[in-house]
Amino acid sequence: MKLSAIRPIALVLSRELTITALLLLGVSFVVFIILYLSPGDPFSVLLEGQVSTEEAREGLREAMGVPKSWYSQYLSWLTNMLQGNFGTSVRTGLPVLQEVLRMGLNTVVLTIGSLFITLLLAVPLALYSAVRGTDRISWPLTMFSYVISALPVFWLGYIVIYFFTHKLGIFPMAFGYSSGGSGSAWLYALLPIFVLGIGNGTVSEVIRFLRSEMSRVMAEDYIRTARAKGASVWKHSFKEGLLIPVTEIIASKIPFILGGAVIVEQVFNWPGMGKMAWQAAQDRDYPVIMGVAILAAVLVRLGSLFQSVVYVAVNPRASKE
Amino acid sequence: MKSYSQIAGEIGEFSDLPFWKKADPIDLAYVGYGLLIVTLVVMSYFLGSFHLLPYNPDDIDLELMMAGPGTPGHILGTDFMGRDMLSRLIVGIQAYFLPGLLAVFIALFFGTVLGVLSGYPAKTGFDTGITYFTNLVDSFPRLVLILLVIAAFKPDIWYIMLVVGITNVPVVASHIKGKIQFLKQKNFIEADMALGLPTRTIILKHILWHNCRSLLIIQATLGMAEAILMETSLSYLGFGVQEPTPSWGNMVQAGANYFMQGKFWPSTAPALAILFTILGFHLLGDGLNNILEEKKGK
Repeated sequence: MKLSAIRPIALVLSRELTITALLLLGVSFVVFIILYLSPGDPFSVLLEGQVSTEEAREGLREAMGVPKSWYSQYLSWLTNMLQGNFGTSVRTGLPVLQEVLRMGLNTVVLTIGSLFITLLLAVPLALYSAVRGTDRISWPLTMFSYVISALPVFWLGYIVIYFFTHKLGIFPMAFGYSSGGSGSAWLYALLPIFVLGIGNGTVSEVIRFLRSEMSRVMAEDYIRTARAKGASVWKHSFKEGLLIPVTEIIASKIPFILGGAVIVEQVFNWPGMGKMAWQAAQDRDYPVIMGVAILAAVLVRLGSLFQSVVYVAVNPRASKE
Repeated sequence: MKSYSQIAGEIGEFSDLPFWKKADPIDLAYVGYGLLIVTLVVMSYFLGSFHLLPYNPDDIDLELMMAGPGTPGHILGTDFMGRDMLSRLIVGIQAYFLPGLLAVFIALFFGTVLGVLSGYPAKTGFDTGITYFTNLVDSFPRLVLILLVIAAFKPDIWYIMLVVGITNVPVVASHIKGKIQFLKQKNFIEADMALGLPTRTIILKHILWHNCRSLLIIQATLGMAEAILMETSLSYLGFGVQEPTPSWGNMVQAGANYFMQGKFWPSTAPALAILFTILGFHLLGDGLNNILEEKKGK
């Protein structure tokens, strides 16, 4: 890549990084406010059953240096977090950050894998119906994808598990931790990735978006010119009609896929962030759910950072806007 | 004979044909199916709230467990405790109907307010603020945000729907904003201002009522689909209506225990109910969108 191509990217990257930082600050503030407004802050949960009177609690609070006003509480919480101290889980006593990162890796694998499956299904179908219009082949397939997308993803999970384990006997019943030993561990990963990829409402929306973007581009004058002079239509429509929309939809679908991951991880007993969030919500384990929410937000923001970089790399003019 | 609008050169925007004659038959079929589903849901909600059911949804019949659909007396069969499936499905609507309406109302009301504030005045700082708010809300996976609220407060459906409503506000706001910016270039708004109509009339009557009605209806159907999806997902995860009170999500979850024995019906029936309902709301929104919004002016 030439230097002149890198400059706009660097420019946009610095701007987007600032925006990302501001947004993550907002994210931390929202998380803090929710926890602050909740009845019984983590500190009094910690003291529950140990100190009986209200005065004694207040005294302890002061003695341990827990600040009183909400903004000083927020600032000290934020400083702690920036130093990598997310607190320890109320349930397991383990430090939250390490646990969330460890589990988060599994969720990232699940998310990226399922995105890949979604695109594998959606891109050909969207391109076909954008170029050829709705016909006898594309309409039933599109309709089928709509139906699959509206299926509750948890039920789809059960169907897939039942079919593969009982009818075909391919995959072991239990997923996750206990699977170790055999060299086919990656096989266990395929089912949830597949279910999250085709279910969860993503496929139909991706198809719809890609189709409308591609048909918009196909109607442009420069495509008509390309077609008239016999140049490759595909080459001229690829960037605007496919590359940019795909990155755009990936970035905007990441939060939905992470949300779907909560359910799919529950169905398949996948040791990821979503299962962790579920467990934390059951136990009212504030530090863990907070860590999950913040890491999830970081992932979403990284996705949209990636999108703006691709956008400018394809279309350098955009950096001057 | 040409109508005035055609003479004025605004062909397509005001056509003589009623909209259902111009529409694509597929879109009409979508809308028809969607309306059927909406009618069924609303009717079932009232049947459920007045207890006009074939059976008591909590009546256990140990003689007739896991009957398939079509069993005499139980059209949709029974679940793993012999409770009538149809009655339970009807009562399951109670779990999301009113809370879902709350979520839709919050999204539409605050979305409209924010959309007007950022779209109508010539120049305000609201625009940046709303973009920031939108990105902030989009940074959270909704289910994770809801789990956070559940952990902080309590697993209550009204709290959950409050969150669903708030997270839908930016979508509605951006649609309304886009529409208003489009309308502001039109002559009739200029004419309104020249006539000295109060801003309130222009916004409420000429912009929102005459031109944003269909947009808001579409957003309402899509919002309801989202609310149903969230309620069923959360009650599946165990944060919502608890057994023995039925909700579609916890019915799927309870029936799933029998799935591996090859007894599909107790969890498949509610899953199909979720499928047909969500599909109905989605197709209604899509069809209306194609008929009323996108194809206008083409």
